[in-house]
Amino acid sequence: MTPEFIAQATRVIADTFGSEQVRIATEGPRTLVRIAVVELYLGSRPPTTPMLLVFDPSQPKPAVYVQPGQLLANGKVPTSTSTTLIGNESWLQFSFNIPWAEQHGILRFIAAARQRFVQDA
Amino acid sequence: MRKVQLRLPLGLGHQLRELVFARARHEIVAFCLVSHELVGDTTILLVRRVVALDDADYLDEPSLGAAWKGSAMLPVIEMAMREGLGIVVVHAHDFPGKARLSADDLASARRLVPMFRARVPGRPHASIVLGRGTAAGLVALPGRNARRYDDVSVRWLGKSIVDWPSTEGDPAFDLEVFDRQALVVGDQGLLSRARVVVVGLCGGGSHVVQQLTHAGVGWIIGIDDDICDRTNLHRQIGMRPVDARKPTPKIKVMSRLVRSIGTGSRFVGIKARVPAPATLDALKSADVIIGATDNVHGRADVMDIAWRNLVPYIDVGANIRALERPASEPRVAIGGNVHVFIPGGFCGWCTGFISDEKLNAERDGRADRSYFQNKGGEAQVVSFNAVVAGQAVSEALQLLTAYRGSSIDPAALALGDGRQRGVLKFDGLRGTLEEWGGARREECPHCNEALSAGSVVWQTVPARRRG
Repeated sequence: MTPEFIAQATRVIADTFGSEQVRIATEGPRTLVRIAVVELYLGSRPPTTPMLLVFDPSQPKPAVYVQPGQLLANGKVPTSTSTTLIGNESWLQFSFNIPWAEQHGILRFIAAARQRFVQDA
Repeated sequence: MRKVQLRLPLGLGHQLRELVFARARHEIVAFCLVSHELVGDTTILLVRRVVALDDADYLDEPSLGAAWKGSAMLPVIEMAMREGLGIVVVHAHDFPGKARLSADDLASARRLVPMFRARVPGRPHASIVLGRGTAAGLVALPGRNARRYDDVSVRWLGKSIVDWPSTEGDPAFDLEVFDRQALVVGDQGLLSRARVVVVGLCGGGSHVVQQLTHAGVGWIIGIDDDICDRTNLHRQIGMRPVDARKPTPKIKVMSRLVRSIGTGSRFVGIKARVPAPATLDALKSADVIIGATDNVHGRADVMDIAWRNLVPYIDVGANIRALERPASEPRVAIGGNVHVFIPGGFCGWCTGFISDEKLNAERDGRADRSYFQNKGGEAQVVSFNAVVAGQAVSEALQLLTAYRGSSIDPAALALGDGRQRGVLKFDGLRGTLEEWGGARREECPHCNEALSAGSVVWQTVPARRRG
């Protein structure tokens, strides 16, 4: 990911979710983008979550995290998740193969990540 | 009102104190570049760099304590902007009485602090004067106007933790109980006000909790997400058979143990695994962390929190493995470690105690952290755990009470060959604990990224340029 792509993706996120909902931070070479409220699919508990996207120029695609404690639509704890530390904060990492191509854009990536919580495992 | 603490890692504290308390024809000024973290009602200013002015940068103004060229600050301001750090101007009044900014200091601070804040708005900025054991200043916290703080606390990390002003004891403790340890501990108040977080409450951690309670540590926060199993009974201090029959969280066993000892220590249990949010808050608020976990991921997380927030971290572990030997020789190797990680000194990554290879092995080669597993089922024996756990508590007592002496000079921890005291190797067959020492690697990515990093600063997304 190039710095230009990261800057553009951040801008698209702010335009879509609203500037007041989106905050950015840098840590070393990484750009962190926090969306205050992302709606998940019907039934997810809770139904909304803060979401963190980490853009690392050395990685082929962004990493995505949600607030710890997020449950699936069926009320179960998702498998293959773990709490991890990013920027002195706790975030929930989840295992989910999200297709990625820069030309598809960041919004499609976020939409795919939200689908993790309608899976039944 | 929010409190403010200036916190300095091993090395930088000594550098700052040597600079500003040096005898010269004028006061010496140092610039500390800081990140920050909010812990309870206290904003902690975490010092990442100390920058001194050249002698030629000072102006000859006999009517002022110190005056310097404005241009001399440009490199400092540029560095602060590049790294997203706050600027704290520090000088010293080396005379008796409570430290306070003079009228000239205050006038200077009222010019400089808003100017710094305009450059890096998300971080705190300040002008602080150090006295003899006290500090005061003008501080602008993020999102707040600059205001005077007559009591800025300072924490210096070194051979022990040195607090300005020194902490007062908790009157709820019956001091007579601790009479027989007074020769070592000195002021029991240093322990009764202390807050020690213990991560992992089974074979090693349960000994640690028991001993901290006997020693009279004020607050013990235990973190463990596990419940008791009958196979823990041979090594978990305080456990009863009923705790396995009616599955009981390990934190409950520790709570009962602390109450039953009855020295006045208070126990708070957190049934979670590091770095869950509740554990993070507890670790950031600790005076000392003692880790007795059985996995590298947990250690790496605690190390990161300790370095970011400048909290000393003592790690303890024992291990036993089988040997193929004749019957007349030992059938096992019994080893263990006590690491004393003082932020600013060597970290677990510097010494190889934590490495990507070890983390990968724990994930069984998978890229995703969610696959990591604890090492269950390893051999453990209560007596060997007791030796290393007891040493870990002794190291915590040193940090909190300085019974081996107090100094913030890194030389006080030097072993020679560039090694620093703090890696103790246990040999259970010989019955020895030997000091091996560790060395900080200047190029260590963890030290360079995490030390005094605090929390990141969240900012609004810059508006799109038009035209």
